[in-house]
Amino acid sequence: MDLFDPVVIALIIAGLYMAWNIGANDLANAMGTSVGSGALSIKQVIVIAGVFEFAGAVFFGERVTSTIAKGIVPIDSIKLIEPHFVVIGMLAAILAAGFWITFATFYNLPVSTTHSIVGAVLGFGLMLAYNGVIGFADINWLVLAKIVGSWLVSPLLGAALAYIIFSIIRYFLLQQADNPYDIEKRFVTLQILTACFIAFAHGSNDVANAVGPLLAAMNTLGLTNSTVPIWVLAIGGFGMVLGLATWGYRVIETIGTKITELTPTRGFSAEFATASVVVLHSYSSLPISTTHTLVGSVIGVGLAGGLAAVDLSVIGKIIMSWIITVPVAAATSALIFTGLIGIGI
Amino acid sequence: MIRREYIRSVLNVFAESPFRPLHMHAEKGGDAVRKLSESVEAYCKGDMVRVEELSREIDVIEHEADVIKQTIRSQLKSSIMLPVNANDLLDFLKPQDTIPDDAQDVAYWLLLRQCELPDVIRDGFLELMSRTAATVEMYETLVDQLSELLETSFGKKDVKQTLAIVPKVEELEHEVDIIETDLIKIIFKHEDVLGGAGVYHLTELVKSIGDIADKSEYAADRLRTMILRR
Repeated sequence: MDLFDPVVIALIIAGLYMAWNIGANDLANAMGTSVGSGALSIKQVIVIAGVFEFAGAVFFGERVTSTIAKGIVPIDSIKLIEPHFVVIGMLAAILAAGFWITFATFYNLPVSTTHSIVGAVLGFGLMLAYNGVIGFADINWLVLAKIVGSWLVSPLLGAALAYIIFSIIRYFLLQQADNPYDIEKRFVTLQILTACFIAFAHGSNDVANAVGPLLAAMNTLGLTNSTVPIWVLAIGGFGMVLGLATWGYRVIETIGTKITELTPTRGFSAEFATASVVVLHSYSSLPISTTHTLVGSVIGVGLAGGLAAVDLSVIGKIIMSWIITVPVAAATSALIFTGLIGIGI
Repeated sequence: MIRREYIRSVLNVFAESPFRPLHMHAEKGGDAVRKLSESVEAYCKGDMVRVEELSREIDVIEHEADVIKQTIRSQLKSSIMLPVNANDLLDFLKPQDTIPDDAQDVAYWLLLRQCELPDVIRDGFLELMSRTAATVEMYETLVDQLSELLETSFGKKDVKQTLAIVPKVEELEHEVDIIETDLIKIIFKHEDVLGGAGVYHLTELVKSIGDIADKSEYAADRLRTMILRR
């Protein structure tokens, strides 16, 4: 098999589609907060996000990508049994995640691409175990538990950090100043830095959702020698930037015009907290949802008294989306895998 | 049909701020009272056409205030987290809403009966109305401070500055009270000239105008409670 194998091409296209979705929605969400507070224009945001997202994906994306590729399902041992299963399974996983994300986005559900891809990869593994190719115990439950745990911890961590950051700004700057609006003006510049930081963080964590399965397939097919080749990450980075430029700007516009409450100090607190939490997880090889972490951070700013009104019903919606996404993505992925193998691909 | 955009967003977490409409609502009260001042002046001059015109204008303002009030109430679902207690906020919205209501009542009451006022009563009315308007305007200044309070998220200095306005509203309301009792006494002294119906009409008018100042003072008090109990 070579790079021009139809399955490999399908994997690359599906990966690009996933990356496009991530760029169009998740990256746009992360960046929209900078536009909302008036720190940057939409054009500036797209340029900054493009550069730093790509950098984050290429230079810091390999850890999480490895986790998605081989951390959950023992790809290396399946490879020895039947390499074809890995390639088709990864295609099934990315297709399943892509379908679910498309559906959820169309119905404006706060679903995470990370949860979708983790569920989809798990679904493939469970299908193999069900068919007796591997044992159920071969699935890396410990890693999975850590990942799911991080989904719970990351928004809480975002909230705590944003609460602390905003409380410090509030106590030492806003409440000491004669005119708090001068402080806001100064934070406009700082927010440009956090916009870079959050784009980098997002790239480093979310690139895996698009190219993790592609990487697993490449490794299995022996198309790459190194563990995580730069060009695979670059495909993901490119797709995400493309998504932001072709569709994300609309999402940014929508968000930017609606969240005028998020002044530069508030925006800075929420973004800095989110980016820090996401980078920490990228470092720990844990795939998390940037968007959910951002929601947690915004709530943190609200808890510190920084926002006029926060709607906490979003917490319930996010928890529901966790509960639904993983089984749905897993089942779809298992079905697609069985179907593809069944028709002899 | 709902127009669906291909969007997943964090927007859900941001709820509409009730503070901006709250501020608009307070301004409606101020507007209604300013119109009422004009109306009382026109009444004293005997210009009933103008009084009627102004009454209609006040009706419109009162209705706008009602719409704002309902919007605020309908937005405050239990899942909304505010930097203040939501019940306290509603407790303060209620007396604030009676300001335009009462202004509307006075405007109607003016229309009911035209009468030639003795100079001393006319001066009393103008004085009563101008002090009442001053009370409401001081109250508006107080509500104005809310936006700054939110900006610093209730910094000690700003809270102190804001709460310092409350006694000023109370003081003005107290002045209105004194003018009110004096004026009623004067009205009864002129019973012969005014007649029974005239006395009744004018005393009711005095009490209703005084009520507006009372409600502003009460709303200021609830606002203080809201800030202190957050």
